[in-house]
Amino acid sequence: MKNFLNKFWKSYSIAVVVLTVGLVLSFLTPRFLKFDNLLNVMTNASLVAIVGLGMTLAIASGNFDLSVGSTAAFAGCIAFSLVPHIGVPASILAGVIAGAVVGLINGLIITELRVPAFIATLGMFTIVRGAALMYTDGKDLTLFGQTGFKVLSGEYLLGIPTPILLAIGIAILLGFMVSQTRFGRHILALGSNFPAAQRSGVPTSRIIWGIFSIVGATAALSGMILSSQVLTANARLATGLELSAIAVVVLGGTALAGGQATMVGTLLGALLIAMINNGLNLLNVPIFYQELTVGVLMLGALAIKMSKGFKLSTLLRRQA
Amino acid sequence: MNENNHRVLLEVQKLTRRFPGVLALNNVDFDLRSGEVHALVGENGAGKSTMINILAGVLSPSSGSVLLDGTPIVFHNPADAQHAGISVIFQEFNLVPQLSVAENIFINREPTRNGLIDWEKMNRHSKEALKRLEIDIDPRLPLSSLSVAQQQLVEIARALAFDARVIVMDEPTAALSEHEVDRLLDIARSLAKDGVGVIYVSHKLEEVFKVADRITVMRDGTHILTDSTANLDEDKVIYAMVGRALIHGRCPDRSFGEIVLTVKDLAVEDSVHNVSFELRAGEILGLAGLMGSGATDVIEALFGLRDAKAGEINLQGKALAIDNPRNAIRSRLGYVPDDRNKAGSLPDLSVKQNITIGILGRLRRFFWIDRKQEQGSAETYREKLNVRCSSLNQRISNLSGGNQQKVVLARALAEDCKVLLLAEPTRGVDVGAKAEIYILIDTLVESGLAVLLESSELPEIIRLANRVLVFASGQIRGELTGEEITQESVMALATRV
Repeated sequence: MKNFLNKFWKSYSIAVVVLTVGLVLSFLTPRFLKFDNLLNVMTNASLVAIVGLGMTLAIASGNFDLSVGSTAAFAGCIAFSLVPHIGVPASILAGVIAGAVVGLINGLIITELRVPAFIATLGMFTIVRGAALMYTDGKDLTLFGQTGFKVLSGEYLLGIPTPILLAIGIAILLGFMVSQTRFGRHILALGSNFPAAQRSGVPTSRIIWGIFSIVGATAALSGMILSSQVLTANARLATGLELSAIAVVVLGGTALAGGQATMVGTLLGALLIAMINNGLNLLNVPIFYQELTVGVLMLGALAIKMSKGFKLSTLLRRQA
Repeated sequence: MNENNHRVLLEVQKLTRRFPGVLALNNVDFDLRSGEVHALVGENGAGKSTMINILAGVLSPSSGSVLLDGTPIVFHNPADAQHAGISVIFQEFNLVPQLSVAENIFINREPTRNGLIDWEKMNRHSKEALKRLEIDIDPRLPLSSLSVAQQQLVEIARALAFDARVIVMDEPTAALSEHEVDRLLDIARSLAKDGVGVIYVSHKLEEVFKVADRITVMRDGTHILTDSTANLDEDKVIYAMVGRALIHGRCPDRSFGEIVLTVKDLAVEDSVHNVSFELRAGEILGLAGLMGSGATDVIEALFGLRDAKAGEINLQGKALAIDNPRNAIRSRLGYVPDDRNKAGSLPDLSVKQNITIGILGRLRRFFWIDRKQEQGSAETYREKLNVRCSSLNQRISNLSGGNQQKVVLARALAEDCKVLLLAEPTRGVDVGAKAEIYILIDTLVESGLAVLLESSELPEIIRLANRVLVFASGQIRGELTGEEITQESVMALATRV
């Protein structure tokens, strides 16, 4: 029983935390549990979750992508600018491809120029933002009156907003990929021990290109959803998205050192942040306290997770 | 050593340590006298590391006690142990490569003057500590500029600067050349002469017999025997370690098939020139040489880890252009790297996943991995190599060194190689597993595999190889066959300039 509890805590601590925070919030403010509000929370969570799911792959492989915020803005601008010419579906596809291409460039810089991912994507963080500014001339792109793009953020299936469906769909897809396919296994091998993976015949460069292309594509989706919510795209959108994305991955339980990945964890990590943000809103906490609170809560959650001595069974024993 | 003149410095009584599901230490007694080198030997998993970690304050015992000068002591953390005068020099150094030698020696207790670090004093004291070890290193140099052997000496100097009375050396010679090993053994002896108690943990019995006054053998977490070195010999100790006799000596007679690998005029960067040789099926060709002789580089070049500048490589009559490991594997070359932790095992993955990582393409159904096939394939190799694990889904990092090595070997075999490149195939492996791996390699070549073996342990080469190429400064200095292969003949060639 003790072992089971510890194991359970190790795998599902984030679920326990999400439920606890949910419980507390529902006591503090009755509005929290309203169906509309819950949908709202999940939609906001999905926005970060989608790029977080891609980021999970990068982190599992022992890498980072710091350029996702810029990529999100860039893809949003590309897609919005194309809508009048090629229509909404093709524009969305173009946006995703643009994100994937940015990701592929990241990958190529890492493998061909041998620049560490951290530095490579930090460079692209600025370059891509700059490219988006040049592309848009620094102006807003709006699609007022042309609400077709709302498909990415409006209601879609059984009254469930598209972002939630997308996040769940991508989580299932990437989760399957990591645990069941050769590509996924290679990602974990890379993150676990790069030289060993290389010596085992893992095509390391191709795997890196694949990972970063996927991260770029998920960043693009997140960016376009964000743009579609306000029907505006501009080059300054989604600043700080890279840090939120990394945060939800780590909160979800994927180790920064690489070698393992949990997509469900990332979804829950995103949900936790969104719940806390929403709760603080409902409780009328001024906006500038919110960031601080989220940061402190995140550090707290991580500290509990990291502390070696902490085990659920000891906690229970003390209370008994 | 006159045992009566040396009082007991450290005493371990009925020490027990439980981990979930494992009794790592079971009522172990041990004592260390001042002025002695006391060797602690045993296979991996025998409990040595657990005991050292308790002495170092890293782990706490489940029961039992540790007495220093007759007083029971309890350590809550490594700093406690250091203050009590126990310094442990682990295999992985606790040093900071970016800092200077002196900063490393005085880390966390830098001498200060007026609140600032007193550099002059720190460098002077460091110099003194290093001098005690008879080494002349400028303490202001960054640690990263030193060789591994020198870094190890810095660790010892740090222990001395802490006024350590008990120094524990954990596998101290794992990364040292033969010459450096002798030097270290001298230092261990001279520390003992100054009244320090030295606990010397090693797999290498040759060293143990050279340096130790007494030897303690542990097996499966229990104390097996303690006796003075004079009363013991290698066979007795090995028998106590593994509980059974071990095969020594030369390689068995082998019959060779046709030539599978031909290397002609191979040159690698600045380290290898004009190397040519042939390898037959069923043969083990040893590549011997001191560190930097080029033997390692030949293997790495064949596997595509180093760029070959010139030369022809022919495998089964086909010319190969190998520029990366993937290519090499596809050409049916298998490789077991010399450093398992750095380049062999995938610590976060399971035993199964470690075995199959190179052959997932073959285990595919549509575009995912077929679980049944993967399980079956991994099970085949687990059995073949007798990997001891509670389940194929266990993480490889939870296995003993010997079993991890077998998994890495299994991976290369699963890739279905014709030529196996073995670099230090039993480094960091205990004696029992070593014997098993030797027998396994024997069986593999019997069934027609060709093996290129690089090893810094001459007994290993003598035991396995039927032919040896001796390398020095990047060239083959001589070839020895069968009975000609002895430690002396290899060393004579290896040291000829």
